[in-house]
Amino acid sequence: MGRTGTDHNAIGQAGTEHNVVGHGTGQAGMFDLAVVGAGPAGMAAALTAADHGLKVVVVDEQQRAGGQIFRQPPEEFTGSVLRPTAGYGWATGLIRRFEADERLTTEFGWSAIGVLYDDALPGGLCLAVNHPQDGTRVIGARRLLIATGAYDLPVAFPGWTLPGVMTAGAVQTLVKAQKIAPVGDVVLAGAHPLLLLVADLLVREGVRVSEVAFAQNIPKPADLLHALGAVPGHVRMLAETGGILARLVRNGVRVSSRTVVTAARGEEHVARVELARVDRRWKVTGTPRAVDASHLVLGYGFSASTELARQIGCDLVYDSPKGGWVVSHDDRLRTSVPGVFVAGEPTGVAGADQSRAEGELAALAIAADLGRDVSATALAEAERGIRTATRFSTVVQRMFEPAREALGDLAGRDTTVCRCETVTRGTLDDFLEASPFVSDVNAVKLSCRTGMGPCQGRYCEGSVGTILASAREQPIGLGGRFSAHLPIKPVPVGDLRTLDSFLDAPPDAPPDGPGGDGSGAVDG
Amino acid sequence: MSESYDVVVVGGGLLGCLTAWMAARDGARVLLVDKDQVNQHASGQNAGSLHFQLEYRMVEAGEEAARVAAEAMPLHLDAAAMWARLEEEIGESLGVRQTGGLMVAENADQVGMLEFKAELERSWGLDVRTLDRSELDTVAPYLSRDIVAANLSALEGKADARIAAPAVARAAVAAGAAVCARTRLTGASHTPTGWDVTLRETDRTGEVRTRTVRTAAVVIAAGVWTTELGQVFGAGLPTVPLALTMTVTSKVPAFIPHLVQHAGARLSLKQSLDKTVLIGGGWPARLMRDADGAPEFDRKHQLIPRSIAGNARAAVNAVPSLERVPAVRSWVGTTTVAPDQLPLVGAVKGAPGVFVATGGSAFTLGPSFARVLTGLLAGRSPDIDLAPYDPARFTEGSTP
Repeated sequence: MGRTGTDHNAIGQAGTEHNVVGHGTGQAGMFDLAVVGAGPAGMAAALTAADHGLKVVVVDEQQRAGGQIFRQPPEEFTGSVLRPTAGYGWATGLIRRFEADERLTTEFGWSAIGVLYDDALPGGLCLAVNHPQDGTRVIGARRLLIATGAYDLPVAFPGWTLPGVMTAGAVQTLVKAQKIAPVGDVVLAGAHPLLLLVADLLVREGVRVSEVAFAQNIPKPADLLHALGAVPGHVRMLAETGGILARLVRNGVRVSSRTVVTAARGEEHVARVELARVDRRWKVTGTPRAVDASHLVLGYGFSASTELARQIGCDLVYDSPKGGWVVSHDDRLRTSVPGVFVAGEPTGVAGADQSRAEGELAALAIAADLGRDVSATALAEAERGIRTATRFSTVVQRMFEPAREALGDLAGRDTTVCRCETVTRGTLDDFLEASPFVSDVNAVKLSCRTGMGPCQGRYCEGSVGTILASAREQPIGLGGRFSAHLPIKPVPVGDLRTLDSFLDAPPDAPPDGPGGDGSGAVDG
Repeated sequence: MSESYDVVVVGGGLLGCLTAWMAARDGARVLLVDKDQVNQHASGQNAGSLHFQLEYRMVEAGEEAARVAAEAMPLHLDAAAMWARLEEEIGESLGVRQTGGLMVAENADQVGMLEFKAELERSWGLDVRTLDRSELDTVAPYLSRDIVAANLSALEGKADARIAAPAVARAAVAAGAAVCARTRLTGASHTPTGWDVTLRETDRTGEVRTRTVRTAAVVIAAGVWTTELGQVFGAGLPTVPLALTMTVTSKVPAFIPHLVQHAGARLSLKQSLDKTVLIGGGWPARLMRDADGAPEFDRKHQLIPRSIAGNARAAVNAVPSLERVPAVRSWVGTTTVAPDQLPLVGAVKGAPGVFVATGGSAFTLGPSFARVLTGLLAGRSPDIDLAPYDPARFTEGSTP
């Protein structure tokens, strides 16, 4: 429920008293800026934009601000105190400042499901949002900031869909926000430093961790020092990596390098996993060994969350070290679509410091775009912040870039690649062999249904891309990316009936009416 | 000149793939090119309706417009018969089910329209029957109680737009055709024996290369790009692009066996063999244009709130149980119509050896278009009167 703005429950029953766009009264106004995502980038952008007099609405599907990295427990949880994340001294202050700011309209629990356009909002766009109980509405805005974060990179291998296989980010969220930890023997495998932090978190919670397997050589503490502040997760804690490693070993945890998980086995749940030695490019060289495990936690890195940018039609570019497909932008974080800006992980997975800096710069650019006074000093400072963060993130991105080709080889013929539509590797291989004229992932998607399910390909795009690239001996980027469509997360057909009603309008009417500020019109 | 063909087909949609397959089966040396991928545009984005009744868009403009639209009925009847045997000839599933199509009515005006329409359609030889409310209880219990009558055409149904064109492309390859994706036709010069066409191809390293191939004939099967390609051959082929909205749901147990259309609203829906429900019916989207107003088909077209909402309302009003079914994708597909809403089919005036087909219902009519074009390529005289569909009918001085 919005903290400010109108009572959207009063907007009428589905399909009856809907306000047609342009025919509503006070509700058809536009915010200056709609921000999607209340993580470091979104929070920083919203505050900076409000400081420049913009009317801002922030939408996030979670219940509280912070994003994945600073995920807070629900307010109802006893002892629900935000624990400052080590290394990110600024985080608590930013969240508190954001939560206390009366100028912002916030919509927690609402998922952004896409962007539409209507002639009734000239120079603006309609951000469509959905709530599990309250249905679907639009929010009018002159500018949009995509600050949608990142998610764990999924890797398909035999058994990866068994219950008990989890991603490092998910385990971190469960432990931190839901106070739930796995029970039994846990094996962690992957290539990302977050694995060490999650292993440590689990050991501290009293969970038995039997092994942490890294695909590459374990980075030396000196390497990790370079990595400070540049990856999602509590990575400034990497300064304590030596300590973490020692603590893990003291607790009987085996830490292996050049080791990849090739299979998870079990009837209805993971019972054991198979680990194999790999070469420098992560190609399996030895016979796998079996390790008993009740849970397998995977951490190969992160993919930028770009579905909203794709739905809108923003250009993306393939950049493997940055996290795969990332949103193209200019030096003021403008995307290829007029009026749409991007900040944080969707520009390339680079961590919370860089996300915050990009959020600030994007907000300044938007304020300037809308005719507000923006000081050159503020712009220079924001740019300096990004440069500082980039120095670290570039090193880390290179150090931890997944060997995607080798990961693509892990899926066998019977391995489910697309779990929404249950499409196996064998189906893809057979289709590609029979259809030599196919060389794009969207053509694979259309014929094989990979990526057509509710997740819109978040889980299988990487696997399909590498399988296609290897079959056609072409670079992954040339195979293209899945398109994404409204609703980027499914909503009932009945809820779409109110897609022409407004959720919120700015708390007070704009002085000169919608679109009347003469600011650069968004092409349509 | 190292490469030569009897026919170069431009466009890897259903029509282009069918034409390549049929021509290759006739023994022609065929090259099919597409600037993107096979089935990447309208053929793969449309909802796969096999509709032979006059659509809402054809009757909403009045009885006279409906009579003009009915002139395409010979093509529709031909297509209905061809779809029925296509899977067997191709040797693969195309997801074809001709289990009947209903055009539903909610009030007396719409029932009147159904009666007018049925009479017109029967005069052209389409078997159409009007079902009353009690018959609908048995035939289509999934329909809302607000539906009072419906016209049933037993020939109607669906094919699977996801898989049809690629399956036909595989058949074309098996019949000897060459199929090249990421290959754009950028130029053409007339020769004594046909055309030299310039092809710009992106290879698997991402490098762009240009080559020229010689061909006796060219088939333009390019949908919204028809006008642009006509210009390459110096021909005026006027078409009007339309950007339309479609929505698909997640999978639900099979409960809608028919193609469902509405006599008084923009609505077309069906359940695919994958068990998803495809919802459309001609709700507009915003077609992207450049500063001069020229359409830009390579950009992503924009969704309009009242189209998505209106389509969802129409769908739930007709089939109430759709209300809680998750929608997973709404997208914009582009289609082409000629200025008079009849197709363009035949030889291109002023460009000997160049043939074209496009313009409205090109998925449904694809098999007929391809059969007619293949006949023209082989020099056979058409068994359907093509005069109403003459591509030159809009050119100055021509008499339709």
